Amino acid sequence: MTEPSDQPLVFLPSESIAEHEGRAFVAVIRTSEELQHWLREPSPDVQWLQVERLLVDADACVAAAGGGSDVPLDVVLSDPGAEFANLYRLVDVLGAREVRVTMPATQGFLKALRLAASLRIPVRLLPSQPSREALDELAGAISFYLHDPMVETPVEPFHSLLAAMRNSGFGSLWMILEEDPAVFVRYGHDGQLRLPRSVEPKADEGALEGFVERHLAGLVAEGAECVTCPWQQTCAGYFKWPDRTYSCAGVKQLFATIATAAEEIGQELAALPASMRLAATEVMQPATAEAVGPIATEGEPL
Amino acid sequence: MSGRVFSVILLPTAECNVACDYCFEHKEPHRLSLALVPLLTCRLLDHLDQMGIGECEIYWQGGEAMIMGPAWFAEAGQIMDRAAAERGRRFTHYLQTNLIGYSPAWNDVLREMFNGSLGTSMDFPNVHRKLFKGGAEAYTELWTRRLHEARAAGIKVGVIAVLHRASLDAGPERFYRYFAEELAIDNFQVNTPFPGGPAAKVEGRFQLDTSELAGFLSGLFDVWMERGYDAGVSLGPFDALMDHFTGKPARLPCIWKENCSNQFISVDAKGTVAQCDCWVTSYPEAFFGNIFREPDLTHMLRTSSARRDFVERPKYLVENADCLACRFLSICHGGCPVRTYSALGTMMAKDPYCEVYKAVFACAETHARQILRRRVLAPAASVRQSSFT
Repeated sequence: MTEPSDQPLVFLPSESIAEHEGRAFVAVIRTSEELQHWLREPSPDVQWLQVERLLVDADACVAAAGGGSDVPLDVVLSDPGAEFANLYRLVDVLGAREVRVTMPATQGFLKALRLAASLRIPVRLLPSQPSREALDELAGAISFYLHDPMVETPVEPFHSLLAAMRNSGFGSLWMILEEDPAVFVRYGHDGQLRLPRSVEPKADEGALEGFVERHLAGLVAEGAECVTCPWQQTCAGYFKWPDRTYSCAGVKQLFATIATAAEEIGQELAALPASMRLAATEVMQPATAEAVGPIATEGEPL
Repeated sequence: MSGRVFSVILLPTAECNVACDYCFEHKEPHRLSLALVPLLTCRLLDHLDQMGIGECEIYWQGGEAMIMGPAWFAEAGQIMDRAAAERGRRFTHYLQTNLIGYSPAWNDVLREMFNGSLGTSMDFPNVHRKLFKGGAEAYTELWTRRLHEARAAGIKVGVIAVLHRASLDAGPERFYRYFAEELAIDNFQVNTPFPGGPAAKVEGRFQLDTSELAGFLSGLFDVWMERGYDAGVSLGPFDALMDHFTGKPARLPCIWKENCSNQFISVDAKGTVAQCDCWVTSYPEAFFGNIFREPDLTHMLRTSSARRDFVERPKYLVENADCLACRFLSICHGGCPVRTYSALGTMMAKDPYCEVYKAVFACAETHARQILRRRVLAPAASVRQSSFT
């Protein structure tokens, strides 16, 4: 791992990396050949490999379980409801390197979340602008994260939101989910810059500076529901992108559920004598003590 | 190199010197020749190289492993360890024996190759482990004598007990007392029975009612927690479950691994490779290949159609059984394929002991909660005490 830096972290398709030499980057991998190359010869600047379509390729999983480098993997599931059972292919990989699973909150994602948790794999769940069905499943996912003893590893964004609501985390959802384009700069396979959840190319990295702040300021100026939203600071308009008219009624319920849990933890801890609080914190919140390693958590970019 | 460990259950012979009722193995008069040990070692080391694995655990079993004699083991161990060291790898050896053939002649090899310890087996009450002449009573007497002799020589002895009808009738307290207090064994484990292979014809004799079995194991768990847990008695698999539920790293038994196919194989004296000793001795239809005839073990494991079923089983279960909804999924993953196969004729189903496991897991969870609560309360107790002194 390189030292933490103020420089943005660049996400680059494997074929464009030579153009950005000398910067900390995440290599976006799409083929078994690319993966094997990067596992054999990782650049000192690579922070992790973002691997797409890994689980459908049993041979690629075998390669990832092999020795050589210990570069971490972020395994992206595009259809978690259909792909979830293939998470068992990561069992061996976990012995060789750190692994995180990233998945969209699309129909059936909770199956993948349950299985990833049972295999002790940290999860980054990308809610985007969830449909009514996805909201129901997200509510189930929060309940699973908060109450199921099987959960031993972080599930983002719930983990960092709970920490933030217990006053021990920081950063907005954009940061927690690595979607703040000023900090997590993504290049497409055409070599063009991309905003999160957008196919429109952007001119240069300078245009990404202050994106979240401008987005939220614009929403406030328009009189969007963000103006009076109690979760404005942690959300920063995350759910109003890319569709600014998206109704946040459902996601506010999700925030409220996490806030209630945070409050209950606070009350239970406050009811204990001071001498017991540290021990109780260790017992009651094992997941928050879990270090996730090089892949950012709690809003930490690097 | 990764931190993964690969395990091999190695059966240098299928011969045995006793006649236990529930044994499922074909007792063929075949022994692993010392001349083949270098080839076997080379195949294993090649596989470790290809997989980037640094350490390989060898579990020597049988048949009865001690039939091979101490000199054979000393030679085989040297051949394997020397070859591993030359390639920057390491073998760790474990011995599982019925102990009947133990004598002081074994002490040197036990100390040097097996780190001064061995695993053996005994049931309570013993009604099924029998000598060819003299039956179960004579077996118990001889085994007990060998146990005392080995321990007197400073050998650490762990014991595996298989539960049967008479164990359940005796009850958990009597069972625990026999091992932990009468024999003073501080490291033992209980296994559930599973008749398979040639023993399938007598399956009915050893089948236990699952609710009775669950009740016995829960009762044994309670007795152990009351009398053994804090006293340093290790009782598997309960101890691993307590580690898990109290937040410590836990080494769960193979029946509850994410996928046993990723972690070990078994090889018999003829070179047959299968998933574990139960498969290699009983189910030819599930053999992966032969380690002496096929030059590349990694390739054999990758391409074996028999092995594919093992690899796919946990995936099949989360898609088709109710395992994904189970709150104990992370410590079970559908249980043991061979128990399933021996009972149902297919491994694509969850372990028939599912309800037994759930009862044991719930028992562990309850005890672990009490321990965690005690840990939270402990500082307060010490504060109260200090305020009075």
